[in-house]
Amino acid sequence: MLKKASIILLIAGLGFISCSKDPVSDLSTEESLVYVTNFNKSANFKQYKTFSIVDSVLVVENDRSGTALTEIDRSLLQRIITNMEGLGYKYVSPKSNPDVGINAAWITNTYLNVASLPLSSYYGGYWGGGFGGYGYGYPSYYQYYETSESYWLVSMLDFKNPNKADSTVNVIWNAQIRGSGIGSPQHIDKMVDSVFGQSGYLKNN
Amino acid sequence: MNKTALIAFFFAAALPAFAQDAPKIYTLPSPFDRYTHYLATARFTGAAPLGSFSDQYISKSSFQNFSASLEWVLRNSPFSVGGEVGSTYFKERLPRALYVNGEETISAVQTRTVSQYPIEVFGNYHFLGKASNIQPYVQLSGGISILDYVVYYGSLSNQDQKIAPKYGIGIGSKFLFKKDGSFGVDVRVKYNGTSYKHDYIENGISSLDGSVGIFYRWW
Repeated sequence: MLKKASIILLIAGLGFISCSKDPVSDLSTEESLVYVTNFNKSANFKQYKTFSIVDSVLVVENDRSGTALTEIDRSLLQRIITNMEGLGYKYVSPKSNPDVGINAAWITNTYLNVASLPLSSYYGGYWGGGFGGYGYGYPSYYQYYETSESYWLVSMLDFKNPNKADSTVNVIWNAQIRGSGIGSPQHIDKMVDSVFGQSGYLKNN
Repeated sequence: MNKTALIAFFFAAALPAFAQDAPKIYTLPSPFDRYTHYLATARFTGAAPLGSFSDQYISKSSFQNFSASLEWVLRNSPFSVGGEVGSTYFKERLPRALYVNGEETISAVQTRTVSQYPIEVFGNYHFLGKASNIQPYVQLSGGISILDYVVYYGSLSNQDQKIAPKYGIGIGSKFLFKKDGSFGVDVRVKYNGTSYKHDYIENGISSLDGSVGIFYRWW
């Protein structure tokens, strides 16, 4: 009798444990967006007066890259110009020696990950749950999964004070826009406004 | 000595004693008084965060907590001992806010969660007898908690998993549906603490839990 009860208790316990939760499934597209900005604390933004911007978006996917200028890329670049002008910078052509240059990139990284089940089984549902391995020819206690993440990366480069010694320019500010809604054109203005809006130190006038 | 002889010898010794008890057969104490018996309880729990856990991480009460326990109610003793496994889950969503860390600023809608799968042993002290319809008790428990701490920034997550020590002290009562019956309701108020320190949680996870359960006992 005791044995049977213990087994029932154990099964009940496993039942609880295998319940998976996705606490962010109810986030709206706008709520899913995350804006991360960083600046170089030794930069004095008051010294920069003019800026220029790349004419297309750099697309980086793992180790490959190219450029693109789709509708959403155009909106992004245009909105960056609007924001920079709002902060007091003057938009000039790349040929007229701007103080700062702005790069915009769409970056996608894909990873192949391995999870060992004996370690991860207690949070079972996290990576799709269930016991994979069957039919894959891998050891059954290994689970393979692939993750891919994309984000916008906007960087501000200091053309005014280049490092002549090693021919580099410093990144004085950058912004990452992450989250599941980053590819939606209707949110692009909001995204750009947000990254500039949370970087008050860029103000120049 | 062969087997038959042994059995006969046993009955020769036991029967006279049994015969003396026989007239009192209808006044015998309940089997739950006479035998060490088993008691299984399934509980649903509401939990209110306390202390620094509530101040710094999640203050919202949780109603996604469940547990099951099995206990041995000891004969001739006010004590019972047992084990309990469960699942608790706290979650709180914060509106978009800025999180500044040095030169880095993050703007995000934060979703804070902590899930625990506690595995504990406990001891109960009962104030009234096992035949009583109402059986108040106090409880001490200790064990481990398989803990999963996840803070989501938008849809990105920052996770920490750990097996942490856990303890609890509670007061409760069992209410039998009928005298000497097998089924009843268990009501318990319990302080639960988990020793854990990470990120926003600086001084453990503590909560005041109220639970309602259904139990079944048998021998």
